[in-house]
Amino acid sequence: MNKPILANSCASAATAEEARFRIDREIAGRTALIVALDGDAAEVVDRVAERPWGAARFYRTPDVDAVVTELEDADVVIMVATAEADGDAASALARLCSERGIMLAGLVLGAQFDVAEAVSALRPYARNLMVTEDEDDVAAVLTALRA
Amino acid sequence: MLKTEINELLTRTGPATPSGDLFRHYWLPALLAEELPENDCPPVRVKILSERLIAFRDSEGRYGLIDEFCAHRGVSLWFGKVEECGLRCAYHGWKYDVTGQCVEVPSEPENSNFARKVKLTSYPLVKVGDILWTYMGAPESPPDLPEFEFAQVPPEQTYTSKRWQESNWLQALEGGIDSSHVSWLHSGGLKNDPLFKGTKGNEYNLNDLRPFFEVAEADGGLFIGARRNAEDGKYYWRITPWVMPSFTIVPPRGDHPVHGHFWVPIDDENCWVYTFDFHPTRALTTEERENMKAGHGVHSRNIPGTYRPEDNKDNDYLIDRAAQKRGETFSGVRGIAQQDASLQESMGPIVDRTKERLVSSDTGIIKARQKLRKAVEGLRDERVTPPGVDPAHHRVRSAAIVLPQAESFIESSRDALAAREGVAHTTV
Repeated sequence: MNKPILANSCASAATAEEARFRIDREIAGRTALIVALDGDAAEVVDRVAERPWGAARFYRTPDVDAVVTELEDADVVIMVATAEADGDAASALARLCSERGIMLAGLVLGAQFDVAEAVSALRPYARNLMVTEDEDDVAAVLTALRA
Repeated sequence: MLKTEINELLTRTGPATPSGDLFRHYWLPALLAEELPENDCPPVRVKILSERLIAFRDSEGRYGLIDEFCAHRGVSLWFGKVEECGLRCAYHGWKYDVTGQCVEVPSEPENSNFARKVKLTSYPLVKVGDILWTYMGAPESPPDLPEFEFAQVPPEQTYTSKRWQESNWLQALEGGIDSSHVSWLHSGGLKNDPLFKGTKGNEYNLNDLRPFFEVAEADGGLFIGARRNAEDGKYYWRITPWVMPSFTIVPPRGDHPVHGHFWVPIDDENCWVYTFDFHPTRALTTEERENMKAGHGVHSRNIPGTYRPEDNKDNDYLIDRAAQKRGETFSGVRGIAQQDASLQESMGPIVDRTKERLVSSDTGIIKARQKLRKAVEGLRDERVTPPGVDPAHHRVRSAAIVLPQAESFIESSRDALAAREGVAHTTV
C-alpha cells in the first residue's frame, strides 16, 4: 500500500451517530405542476390533490394557457395520463417547458399493452417516464420530490 | 424523500422485522462455493440478515448452515472441527450435523438420549452455479430453487466474486438501478476498462450525457430503460432489469460478458455484493477471467484471503487525485465497484432518506422503493407472496438495443429481455 491513510477523512468518520446530524439546513420543496392529459387521469389528479402538499398545483385539463402563467416559478411539470392521453397537449407542454428549462416528466397509468399508444405519444417529450398500474405511484413520486 | 418510518421499514432486515420477513421468502446467496472447497474443510462464519451462522461441508459433501454458537455454553463453532459428518465444538466436543441436530455430547453416558434433545437453528444450503444459496423462511414452504441465467449456464461461461460493502443494502441496490450516474462516475471505465471498452454502445453513452429514462413494471420487479440518441433518428436503449428484492443485470456492451449484482444484507449497516459476469453462448476467455479476478469490470480487487476490497474506507479508497485531474477516473477511485462503494458508504451506514432531494430522473429509485414497500406491507398484512420468489421471474435479461423512436422498448425488446438457453444476448 503506497498511499497515505488520511486519518481525518470523511469516509472513516461515517458512523450512524454522526450521520444523524447531516444536511441540517431546511430543504425547500419543489414547485411542481401536475397536469392531467385526459379524463381518467383528471380523476386521479383530483384524488391526489386532496392530500396535503407543499407548493404543488394541480390541473384537471391540459389547458396550456392556464399552465403557462404558473410556469415561471415551476421546477418540474408532471403529466399524468391514461390510455386516452392527449399527445398534442404533451407536445405543447414540452415546448413551453423546453423554452424555460423546466423538467417535464410523465406518469402513464395502466397496463403496458393498454397504454402503449399514450406512452409513444409522451415519449419524445417526457425526460422521465413511468408506466405503472398503481395509482399510488403518483403520490409516491410527488412525495419523493417534496412537491 | 422517504418518511422516517418507511426508511426504517425498508432498511431493517433482522429477525422479526417486516423487510426481514420479505428477504426470508427468497433463496439468497449465503457464500461462494469456493469458500467450502472440499469435504471436511474448515467451517465459515456467515452473517446474513443480522443472524450469526456457520457454514460447513461434511464428510459426505453435504452443506450445512446452522447457528454459529454451541447450545452448551454459547461459544463460536467457528473454532470447531469438521469431522465424521459433523461439526464438533472446540470447547467440550459437542457435535452437530448439517441440520443443526446435536449428535454427540461426550460428557453424557454413551447410551444417553440427551443429544437428540438439542438442535440448533439451521437453514438449507444448496449449490446453484458458483454460489451456495440459503432460504431462511418457513421450513415447510421453501420456494423452488433460483433460476438466474448467470447461475444456470455451464461453469466455463460464468464467474462470480463478492465483496463486503459497509453500508445498508438498500442504498447499494439503489446505485444498481440508478442509470444516470454511469455517464459521470464511471465515465473513465467506459474508455479504459478491458471488460467494457471498444463497443459502439460506449460511443452512444459518451456522446449523450443527458439520457431520458423510462420505468416499466415487470412480473418480478422492474425494467428501467435509459435512452440516448443514435443515428438516423433512432434511440440507443440500455435496459436494466431489477428482480426483487435485490438482483440486477447491467445492460451488455458488445460481445463482452454480461454482468450484474445481488445485494444481500449482512446486517443493517453492511451488505455482501455478489457480482457475476457470464456469457450466454460462449466460454469466458482466459483473459476475461483473469481481468475479472484482477478486479476489472464490476468486480473488486480484494485483500488476499478476504472479501474486503483493497480500496476501502480505512484508506480513503486509495484515492488518486492526479488520476482524477487527468480525467482517467471521475472520482479518483479506481474500479467501478469501489467507485460505487466509496460514494454509497459515504452516505452513512443507513442513509437518512428524509433529508434527500430527489429529482425526476430518480424515478426508477422511487418506483423500486414503492414496490418494495407494497411487497413488505402486502406480506405483513395479507401474507401475499412477493414478486421475485417465482423462479420464472428470474429468467430475465438486460439488453442494449437501437430502436426506431416510435417503438416501445418493452414491446420491441420482449424476446431480448427473456433468458433463452443457447441464444446470444441483444447488445450493441
